[in-house]
Amino acid sequence: MKDIFFDLSVRSVRLNFLRSLLASIGIVIGVVAIASMGMLGTNMQLIVKNQLTAGINTIVITPDVVRSEPGSFGTQGTTATGITESQLKDIRDAAGTNEVIPIDRTSTQFSIGSSDGRGSIMGFDQNDMKNIMNVSEGSTPRGESDAIVGAMIASRFDLKIGTRIKIGEPNISVTRPVVRVVGILPTIGMSSSNGINTDNAIIVSDTWYSAQFGGANVYDQVNVNLKDVSTLSAVETAIDNKVNRNKEVIRISDASSRVTSVSSTLSSLTTFILAIGSISLLVAATSIFNVMMMSVSERVQEIGILLSIGTETGEVRRMFLYEAFILGIIGAIIGGIMSIVIGYSVVSAMIGNTAYFFLPESIIYVPAGMLIGIVVCVASGVYPAWKASNMDPIEALRAE
Amino acid sequence: MSDFPLIRLADVTKVYHLESGDVIALNHVSVDILENEFVAIMGPSGSGKSTMMNQLGILDVPTSGNLFISGKNVAAMTNLERTHMRRDTIGYIFQNFYLIPLLTAYENVEYPLILKYKQRDNSGKAAAILKSVGFDQALSAHRPSQLSGGQQQRVAIARALVNDPRILLCDEPTGNLDRKTGFTIMDTLAGLHSEGKTVILVTHDPKVAEYAHRTIQLEDGRVVAS
Repeated sequence: MKDIFFDLSVRSVRLNFLRSLLASIGIVIGVVAIASMGMLGTNMQLIVKNQLTAGINTIVITPDVVRSEPGSFGTQGTTATGITESQLKDIRDAAGTNEVIPIDRTSTQFSIGSSDGRGSIMGFDQNDMKNIMNVSEGSTPRGESDAIVGAMIASRFDLKIGTRIKIGEPNISVTRPVVRVVGILPTIGMSSSNGINTDNAIIVSDTWYSAQFGGANVYDQVNVNLKDVSTLSAVETAIDNKVNRNKEVIRISDASSRVTSVSSTLSSLTTFILAIGSISLLVAATSIFNVMMMSVSERVQEIGILLSIGTETGEVRRMFLYEAFILGIIGAIIGGIMSIVIGYSVVSAMIGNTAYFFLPESIIYVPAGMLIGIVVCVASGVYPAWKASNMDPIEALRAE
Repeated sequence: MSDFPLIRLADVTKVYHLESGDVIALNHVSVDILENEFVAIMGPSGSGKSTMMNQLGILDVPTSGNLFISGKNVAAMTNLERTHMRRDTIGYIFQNFYLIPLLTAYENVEYPLILKYKQRDNSGKAAAILKSVGFDQALSAHRPSQLSGGQQQRVAIARALVNDPRILLCDEPTGNLDRKTGFTIMDTLAGLHSEGKTVILVTHDPKVAEYAHRTIQLEDGRVVAS
């Protein structure tokens, strides 16, 4: 059945089309603001979360230097500053088929030509390097004194394949060991959640490393790369049970807590920008309220006629709420379409990545914004509708 | 029903409280109107004619005294009951026609049916009533603003009649019409009276009042002749 009160509202909107359209523009802006701000925040969250979770399948194991103090003698004496071969074997056993990467690392000074610098130097097994390092230029080391370098060092010192780097303090009057750059790594940035940030590092083979820095068969860090991230806690427990069975000698950590904390920060940020977007809806609500009050005051006599020939107050109320609803629908539809276009542009311009734009958790802000727009519109019409329905019909009929 | 009047005003007083002081618009008025009477209410400006019409049309309630319509005490009714009685028992015809500007002539007539039955009219009743006041389908599709005064008043009469009310309240129905059209409208009302309707008419015009069988004369809110 077609409701005559809805019909009357449609006609009233049509009769005052320009005024209605202008009022709806407020809702359009509100919907666009909410939807695009929401989508911007969500896309940001999704991208950062994805970057962070890229390394979430890595368990980072480091020696527990607090509990096994360096220099203390006893059964664990030699393990004080590193993870031993036997501990590594235990880790490998507990890790099962997952990839286990032992790493040597320290901080060092170095010289390239006449310039000096400071950075990390890391020692990897040559096979591991082949598996986990994806060079953007050159290749992974083959020879003993071959090295690959991080993107930051490479750009700062303008390194090329073949450049030689002297490792060690420059003021010591001994011949410093030299490595030759054979590969350059891409920028890792925030996505380095695997405990290895190679941006400011020189990476060499473990044999070269131990020859220079000592500590053969002792490692500063062991990474376990999981094949299935859902086994994370099971593998962590297995390693803990096996290696730390008598005493806490290693620390086991992963990126999940970091992901949680960054996600929660970003989620607060999204809420904040959504709140800013909501202010525009408040403005829209005022404009709808104003238009509805105008509509009521222009139609006082009509309301008087309706009431005097037997229209129930609830029906009059409904008529004006419908009118607000229609304004809301118009605003929401235009706003919905515009927010897809504007949202896409904003996400593309500010984040530079629209891969997540059409995912449900992002695009949901369009219908959500539309719904909020309609609700705000109808809510703004409640008082005008109440005012219309509670008029004295005699007074209303006398109005010009 | 014949021993109890269709409408009874029993000692009805209506006082308007204005800033300049209280105005007694109706002062202890007691009048009975029987079924199928044709009554004219006359009196100078400010005599209380409009107030009396508002009381009879249940748009207002007495300050004191009682108004009975069809044996029911209006003052004891809820707002919704009054609205329903207005819709079902009373047909109101105004001097200014008071058609709903957004609706066509047909929809204006159909409107009270929708109010009553909560659905569009499929019975053809609205079209039939419009036809009886000389409106064909093409004319029925016009908006009030596209109709002459006489045409608008005929639509208003059709609207007042469509729910088959027992009482027709006519507030200066010819006031905004030329003399000839005015008498045509009065002939229509006389015809409705002869079909059994109770017609109550407010007018200044003695010629119009001649159509009525009884005249209630008001002065300063009191009935001076009935």
